[in-house]
Amino acid sequence: MKNHINKILPAIILLCVVYGCKKYEQFPVDKITINYVFDPRDSAGATAQSYLLGVYAIVPNGHNRVGGDYLDAASDDAVSSQTSTAQVTQMSTNAVTSFTFPSGENIWEGTNPNGTPNSFWAGIRTANEFIDNIGVVPVKGALPNGVGTRWVWQSEARFLRAYFYFELVKRYGGVPLLGNTVYNINDVITLPRNSFSDCITYIVNELDAVKDSLITTPLANPNDNYRATKGAALALKARVLLYAASPLFNGGNIDGANPLTGYPNYDVNRWTLAANAARDVVNLGGYQLDQSFTDIFLTQNNPERIMIRPGGNSISIETNNGPVGFQAASAVGNTSPTQELINSFPMQNGLAITDPTSGYNSADPYAINSTPKRDPRLAATILYNGHPWLNTSLQTFEGGQSKPDINTQQTLTGYYMRKFMGIFENTPTYSSHSSDWVVFRYAEVLLTLAEAENEAAGSPPSDCYTQLYALRARATIDPGPSNTYGVPQNMNTAQMRAFIQNEWRIEFAFEEHRYFDIKRWKLAQTVMSQPRTGVSIVQTGSTLTFNPANVLNTVFTTKQYFHPIPYDEILKDQNLKQNPGW
Amino acid sequence: MLNCYSQKYLTGIIILMLLVINTSFAVAQQDTTVKAPVHPGWASGIVLDEYSQPLKGAKIHIKGKSDFVASDANGRFEIDAAPGAILVFGYPSHLVREVTIKDNSKLTVKLDDSYLVNPQTIDVLYGTEKKESELGSISTVYTNQLTSTPASLYVYAFPGQLAGVYTQQVSGFTSFHTAAISSPSIIGQNLVNTGSNNNTSSDNSEIAVSVRGQTPITIIDGVQREISSIDPESIESISVLKDGLSTILLGINSSRPVILVTTKRGQPGKPRITFTAETGLQQSLSLPTPLPAYQYAYLINETLTSDGKLPEYSAADFNAYRNHTDPIGHPDVNWFKTILSDYAPMTQYKLNVNGGTNVARYSISLGYFDQSGIFNTASEVPYNTNNDLSRYIINSDVGVQVNKNLNVDLQLFGRVQTTTEPGGNNGGGYTSVLNSLFSTPNNAYPVRNPDGSFGGSIIGGNAGPYSNNLLSQTEYSGYIQNLTDDILANLDLNYNLNGVLKGLTAKLKGNLSYQSITALNRSLQNPSFILNKDSTYSQYGQIVAQSNVFNTVYTSRQSFGQAALNYDRQFGKSQVNGIALYDSKSLVTNYDLPETVTDIALKGNYNYDGKYFAEAAVNRSGDNRYPPGHQFGTFYAVGLGWQMAKESFIKNNFSWIDSWKWRGTYARTGNGNIDQQASLYYAYKQTYNSNTPGYQYQVGTGYTTNYYWFDNPLANPYITWESADKIDFGTDISLFKDKLDITADYYHDRYFNVLGYRGSTVSLLGTPYPLENIGINLYQGGELSLTYRDHTGNFNYFVTGNINLQASKILYEDELNSPYPWTRLTGTPVSGVIYGYTAEGLYQNAQDAATSPHIAGYTPQAGDIKYKDLNGDGVINQFDESPIGGTKPLIFYGLTPGVSYKGVSLTVIIQGVTNRQIYTGNNDIVNQLGLDYSTINQQAYVSATGRWTPETAGTATLPRLAVSGYVNNGLLSSFYVKSGDYVRIKNAELGYTFPYSVTQRLKVAGLRVFVNGENLATLAGFKGIDPEETTMGAYPVQRVVNAGVSVKL
Repeated sequence: MKNHINKILPAIILLCVVYGCKKYEQFPVDKITINYVFDPRDSAGATAQSYLLGVYAIVPNGHNRVGGDYLDAASDDAVSSQTSTAQVTQMSTNAVTSFTFPSGENIWEGTNPNGTPNSFWAGIRTANEFIDNIGVVPVKGALPNGVGTRWVWQSEARFLRAYFYFELVKRYGGVPLLGNTVYNINDVITLPRNSFSDCITYIVNELDAVKDSLITTPLANPNDNYRATKGAALALKARVLLYAASPLFNGGNIDGANPLTGYPNYDVNRWTLAANAARDVVNLGGYQLDQSFTDIFLTQNNPERIMIRPGGNSISIETNNGPVGFQAASAVGNTSPTQELINSFPMQNGLAITDPTSGYNSADPYAINSTPKRDPRLAATILYNGHPWLNTSLQTFEGGQSKPDINTQQTLTGYYMRKFMGIFENTPTYSSHSSDWVVFRYAEVLLTLAEAENEAAGSPPSDCYTQLYALRARATIDPGPSNTYGVPQNMNTAQMRAFIQNEWRIEFAFEEHRYFDIKRWKLAQTVMSQPRTGVSIVQTGSTLTFNPANVLNTVFTTKQYFHPIPYDEILKDQNLKQNPGW
Repeated sequence: MLNCYSQKYLTGIIILMLLVINTSFAVAQQDTTVKAPVHPGWASGIVLDEYSQPLKGAKIHIKGKSDFVASDANGRFEIDAAPGAILVFGYPSHLVREVTIKDNSKLTVKLDDSYLVNPQTIDVLYGTEKKESELGSISTVYTNQLTSTPASLYVYAFPGQLAGVYTQQVSGFTSFHTAAISSPSIIGQNLVNTGSNNNTSSDNSEIAVSVRGQTPITIIDGVQREISSIDPESIESISVLKDGLSTILLGINSSRPVILVTTKRGQPGKPRITFTAETGLQQSLSLPTPLPAYQYAYLINETLTSDGKLPEYSAADFNAYRNHTDPIGHPDVNWFKTILSDYAPMTQYKLNVNGGTNVARYSISLGYFDQSGIFNTASEVPYNTNNDLSRYIINSDVGVQVNKNLNVDLQLFGRVQTTTEPGGNNGGGYTSVLNSLFSTPNNAYPVRNPDGSFGGSIIGGNAGPYSNNLLSQTEYSGYIQNLTDDILANLDLNYNLNGVLKGLTAKLKGNLSYQSITALNRSLQNPSFILNKDSTYSQYGQIVAQSNVFNTVYTSRQSFGQAALNYDRQFGKSQVNGIALYDSKSLVTNYDLPETVTDIALKGNYNYDGKYFAEAAVNRSGDNRYPPGHQFGTFYAVGLGWQMAKESFIKNNFSWIDSWKWRGTYARTGNGNIDQQASLYYAYKQTYNSNTPGYQYQVGTGYTTNYYWFDNPLANPYITWESADKIDFGTDISLFKDKLDITADYYHDRYFNVLGYRGSTVSLLGTPYPLENIGINLYQGGELSLTYRDHTGNFNYFVTGNINLQASKILYEDELNSPYPWTRLTGTPVSGVIYGYTAEGLYQNAQDAATSPHIAGYTPQAGDIKYKDLNGDGVINQFDESPIGGTKPLIFYGLTPGVSYKGVSLTVIIQGVTNRQIYTGNNDIVNQLGLDYSTINQQAYVSATGRWTPETAGTATLPRLAVSGYVNNGLLSSFYVKSGDYVRIKNAELGYTFPYSVTQRLKVAGLRVFVNGENLATLAGFKGIDPEETTMGAYPVQRVVNAGVSVKL
């Protein structure tokens, strides 16, 4: 026995040693490292392209973006119906500080680099990572002008980076420009802010640099509808230059010569640059106004869209904003448009309701039973009492189906939002529809052109009128005998300015224009210092009485022209300078 | 049903075994017959132990005299004593007995085990050590201190009994884990004992245990296994190793204290068989009293009208609620009484067999435990829906002395556990039932409609909280089961190498263990109906057919190998001991790559004449989860001791001092907690991910969903283990012939390289910063234990107690340079700090409210909470937040008195805490926030009637009710900070051990009946909620009253 053990034991030990030598995983193979994402051997570049989608995903979808509300509910166009204090209400009532700024608009600090786009710094980081690494991926294919596919993708990332920077600049003024650097754990990041002027120059230069390396409209492949095009780059450039030329930044600096909050001086040439940039988009020739106003938001690849943030097929716009009280189509009605917005819509003859000749009937303010009718864009933007909806006539009078007054959430103003929704006037319930967020559309370019030309020239050039006629024609305003679509003739610059500003308001309601427009025009202090109003409709028999009702006292102080840089960030980076007043 | 049968079946088997063994006992008994004495006229007899087996070495003396005799190997003794003299029988860790000699007949004296044990050796990591030479800080409890606690886990016996161990009961029932393994590195994180290393699942979700502020590691028979459900009867001892020297052999995991569980090994001798059957009733403690419907409705109206809103209920509604005239339309249901039962049974059977010869020894433990839950069940449902925990455990150990030098010991442990819970809300199990129970107002919906269907309510929507009837959730929603199986095998080889070098032994240990947790979800969901005014019914809620989902929740396979050389030898007065040790543990859990922890250690100790002691250890230890090249660290410890009582100046002058030892240890330890968070799993390299929900983008004309690639959180290539410098000074004193024992310890544990986030996590980076080794924390405190034991005649008594002071402090945390010092955490305790606003009571008048600083955007009114403006800037904001509670050093204590007289014994375990504070602001049982009239109202409790109203302004205990008030009154503030102090009778046991005369007649070796209980009485500083379980909706802490019988054969 003992002899056997002497043989068996070494054998076992030997077996153990040999067995112990087998290889095993030192680092989990399921953990993907960068050489897989940017693979030097991948001529299809599938993972790299997928990574670029992650950069696209940071472009915000504006539908109910800010704490469940549209950003414009923080402007004078709407208020939030939410029963708890909404983020937009905190903003519009100045109940915010640099350390309690609502998360929905705290686009500086969001630490979540995933699909919920709340931090544009995350966007800039991922874009930079893509820009720095895509060069190694030998992607096949090229644009007709010879630009290789990988460089097209890189240009898209640069476009997106420029877009993220502008989203920051229009809220904060000048921000630190990071270049192509992807910082890591070893870096002590104590960057100062670049001036507003530097930022505008950087963004515009970037857009100029990439504009010819992007795909063009009409799209060779309709599935590319989410991608940045040359038109998008030029449209962004036009928007950037329009903002840079606007009073807040161009001569109206709220903080004297502070280079972070705008240009220290006024320069009329900035308006010319903006006009030229808008003209460049027009000259591309690839875009035209969609002849149906509602269709812009419902139909993919319509000719008016310049850039979108895809939103998929859903009914979430309806469930978030639709009128309450429909059992088969339950909705919570978050957005309550204000009477001020309703009043800014003209009659179908194009005349403002304040014009005594307009035919406006205050006993039938929405011209349901009388003529002339209101601007059709009103019915496409607002749900008002008597509006056909879900096979009925909407009831927003006190105690009505959609304003039951029973302590649950309902409209505060007597109105619900209609824009972006599907055609549900004559259906019993909601059904999924395409619900993209339109980032740029052609109408913006036309209005930019009109506004910039009006300011650049001494008096409104005729081209201004041309753009306004085009928009109103599409809105199916009556052209009138002289084909002027109710646009007053022979306006001076200021009158034209006011008219264009109203056109911005009604054309782009809830599209995240108004909130920034009243700031860049420096009108916010005026309009936001008045109470927000709605209507209280009392039904007696078949008679309706329309009583004005104050719904919210908004507050605006000069500091609110800019978002505060988050308090903690100022502590963390001692070189960051806070915006004035915060 | 099956449970029921198996329960009876097991019982049957055991009874059968008893009968078989009983006959063998009758034979064995022959040996104990008393033989004729050698010295005629002397008193003689036999001393027996608990098993009626001869007890060798018992000391017998005549009362009043100091000479004693000892019993021989057969338990026999003779002593020169005349009739009428009183003989005193003593044996370590046994009760003292006095017997009066009546005549010359032979005495048979049985000595019963005492509650407290006073051992000569104590269990330490990977071995035992003489108590006199131990330098570390170790608290130990033994079998009898564990078995008096009727509970599912042995940790229930910890409170108050172990110095330095802080416990808090957070739940009354085990938790369920039903989620399937879904991806790598998120290995069922919710299963893991969050403090403990090496990511093994823990079955203790009921008692939070911390030792000197740290979560301990559990080591069972030398191998880390987080198992807390071993039959206490089969446990020899549980030691808590608190200092660094005692744990240093764990190397990279040595920072954490160790709970060392040693199970019973076979003892040579005849079979010692113990069978215990016990059953008890559990009763929920601290269930709240919900408001009756009419009061609830009244308060809701008050909430609405104080904001100028329309009232929701009319006077007719109040009357209907109050008079219960319309139970369908105006229900008033006390759901606590509807779905909870008053008492729930708990049953256990335990069989332990122990015996052997000098060649082979064995120990077998077989246990069955069944604990029912608090929910009612429906008779028409053919299966059990109540909570239930049913468990079988078998632990067997066989040791064989193969030859003169080789000893082989094989241990096998198996556990089969089934836990059942009701299907609950949408398959959410009992926690969802309790959540619904605590948040459903009495008037939400009727139990059943007139047609027998379940009542429901549309409030909050069709999928809202009241669309799923509570009765249905509890009794008619199917069931969910967790099935947990464990197998553990231990093989120990001890080889005596005296032939090579005197005093040298070699030890090999191999361990394999396997655990599987699976879940079976057989839940369903029923619709609810509302009776409309026109007598039709509307259906709400979703219908979900009974599912049959089987998930593998967790599997782990652990192998552990250890080789050690031990050298132990006496040279004159010098005692030398050295250990060289190598071990490696590999753990494979779910999808993860194996985690391998390796130790190469040397440990040596020396003592001179039992007077001076020195010990040192060094351990090169590593974990393969750290970056290559930085996986191993060196950890070391030293200890010194001095037995002062052996010095002549004590020995000669203070004879009443038996022992007085001073000891001190220092250790540099490690805490390899890289496996604590999924985010640390191989996160030293930057990695990327895809196919993750939330990271998708829909593109193209058909909205094709693309899961895009994205960066995982930022890599930290420098990650390393946390370290600590642990210092412990202590003294052990025994006085008055070991009647009084005193142990005192002071510790100073400085933890550094603690994982945390840097302060300057600038957003410009564009991604969150990872955990880095940044922080420094200090834990210090003192522990004092006192034990006094004595007897007067046959009246044995003892009292043992401990009191502990524990303080911690953040020495460094990379904080932002805030302008206000009170907003910083550095300098405050590491955990338990409540951080918020300082409340200054309620505004008593409108003028005060209007002129005081308040939060932006809110206009306070009388009855709102007034906050202190710490920085005096006239507005209440984050700069006015500061630590408002939990900043004082924690004091906790335990006291265990016990008495026994002629077989009757009583012990009581009292546990208490002071300097503790709890936050109740998120507990609607205490606050008024269930009435805040957000979109959905929650339940409110009687405490809400103490809200502020103008009439009760002086006596109000809660702020006013108002929809808008939540913004102000819901802030985290000292208004809701309450005293967490309490004293609790954790446990008491009254037992009776039948005398030998009775057991002999019954032909059993021992018989004991007992009644014991858990959580018997509480004195709390704040009475609104249970002082230990402060989370609303947790499974209530149970009071248990239990009775049983224990038979020894």
